[in-house]
Amino acid sequence: MRIKSHPILGEVKPAKSLTFTFDGQQMLGLEGEPIAAALRAAGVMIHRYTKKRKDPRGLFCAIGRCTDCVMIVNGRPNVRTCVTPLEEGMIVKTQYGAGEASK
Amino acid sequence: MKRYDLIVVGAGPAGLSAASEAASLGLGVAVFDENAKPGGQLFKQIHKFFGSKEHKAKMRGTAIGAELLDEAQRLGVEVFLNSPVVGLYDNREVLVRQGDAVQHYKGDGVIVATGANENILAFEGWTLPGVMGAGAAQTMMNINRVMPGKNILMLGSGNVGLVVGFQLLQAGSKLAAVVDAAPYIGGYGVHAAKIARTGVPFFLSHTIVKAEGIDRVTGAVIAQVDEKWNVIPGTEKSFEVDTICVAVGLSSSVELLKMAGCEMKKDGLGVIPIIDDDGETSVWGVFAAGDVSGIEEASAAMIEGRLSGLAAAGKLGFVGPEALKNRKEELLSALEGLRDGMFAPKNRGKSQDSTSEGLPVSKCLLANGFLDDSETFSYPGVKSVPGLHPVIECTQNIPCNPCQDACPKGCIKVEGKIIALPVFDEKSKCSGCGLCVASCSGQAIFLVNEDLGDGKAAVTIPYELLPLPAKGAVGTALGRSGAPLCPAVVTEVKLIGAFDHTALMTFTVPSKFAMTARFWKNEVPA
Repeated sequence: MRIKSHPILGEVKPAKSLTFTFDGQQMLGLEGEPIAAALRAAGVMIHRYTKKRKDPRGLFCAIGRCTDCVMIVNGRPNVRTCVTPLEEGMIVKTQYGAGEASK
Repeated sequence: MKRYDLIVVGAGPAGLSAASEAASLGLGVAVFDENAKPGGQLFKQIHKFFGSKEHKAKMRGTAIGAELLDEAQRLGVEVFLNSPVVGLYDNREVLVRQGDAVQHYKGDGVIVATGANENILAFEGWTLPGVMGAGAAQTMMNINRVMPGKNILMLGSGNVGLVVGFQLLQAGSKLAAVVDAAPYIGGYGVHAAKIARTGVPFFLSHTIVKAEGIDRVTGAVIAQVDEKWNVIPGTEKSFEVDTICVAVGLSSSVELLKMAGCEMKKDGLGVIPIIDDDGETSVWGVFAAGDVSGIEEASAAMIEGRLSGLAAAGKLGFVGPEALKNRKEELLSALEGLRDGMFAPKNRGKSQDSTSEGLPVSKCLLANGFLDDSETFSYPGVKSVPGLHPVIECTQNIPCNPCQDACPKGCIKVEGKIIALPVFDEKSKCSGCGLCVASCSGQAIFLVNEDLGDGKAAVTIPYELLPLPAKGAVGTALGRSGAPLCPAVVTEVKLIGAFDHTALMTFTVPSKFAMTARFWKNEVPA
């Protein structure tokens, strides 16, 4: 959920909407935000499943340290979604294990 | 390979301060930062800082960040973003990943100001989506403006847990509880008190047993621990939460310093470099400033940065011995003032039984996050006098004194050291301007008129939440513990530029609640 008004930071400055897909589903995000923020705002919690135990993982450190939030972005696996800016038309997919690059 | 007089790694409070100090003395300075935006964690720090004027006290981190950036730009510092430093080798050779290439740079001096990482805590279910670092929550809500969750459990009552906990309320989330395995609040009591008075419970001597949920957090179970940190069976408590924030301390991000061969020593869970009072490590010309050299507050990091920037300038011959000595003394004395505080390295882990004035520190505050109503008058900021007057519920040695400067009538004195408890001078005449209330970074100052003449009292509180109530709104006055006391009518809501987003809300209550009502909730009592 997006924070619309805030007692200290005030109103959110309007930003351009960007379209992207998450596992084939069309979604809207904002220019200037990381992929993970757009996903969280849309209620997406699971970014990937671990290789051995197939456990779900999501956003954890949000500053590019822990690599829990990596996903397949435009066919490239292991992209840290918390520090990668969202771009128009991005194809974002849940990553399974180490993530095979999709064709 | 491009050469700079000084290369700074990290564009946070320490790095930017170091860069500006050096650039002001004529050095050519480059700052490399891995992030897309400069400022380190400052732009997430939306609370007002402690300190004195020279430490930029009562400014919010966001404003301090903007000021530091301005200064660096004005002085011609080159700041390279999206530029992670991946290597620091002999003779201060710096490797930077820029785009898909690794570039080589050389610094005559290098200042490492890489900050710190959040510690983690492993418990059943800790890898579930919905468990996140408190810093992560702060990034999401204050930078990305996305709510980390709707209903949140905070693990850790240190300053990060307390400050982020309050920020979660400001973002519109619900805070279910603050939990800490230690028997006492880890952070400043005033930070705890501003959460407690909204009705958020603290569970000290409690630990998390598990996060519940199949593929995301749907709940959390906590339980009491004994002196040996073992869970006491039968004390489990469940919370329906969608998010669990972990705030269990920070560890210095020392990778580059280790790579450079700097000698290290143990500190908490990690290691820190061995440095002199300029911040220079065991490797010639390599300095460490800010959290990477030991976890402290941003106000200390900024001074440490300046000390290192100055020392680098001295070492490289950009400043004469006399000027160097004078400036260094000035900076060290500013740092000294901060380091008298309860979270300074030399005081860490020490008993907090009494203040430097010899007053007992409230056990209730330490164990529950709020002052017991019976204790408040034992502190020099709380006195009962006729007419309008400030009530300063500042009961620990905090290196902070803006309240003294804020009062145009001289009602408030912070005498001697900056950590002294503020004293309310009952002979002075309060004008009711409210500047002290807004100046208090701990939101611990209230204006009270205990008797309006009609059996009612007026209480003015700092209020940094939304929505702001309208004049005439009827709600409930809450006590320091967050317990509802009585109906309360809002008589004024004041928000002027000088208050810097801290609204002053005045409500009336029956006189007997004048010294106990400390929060207002938009709920009509049953």
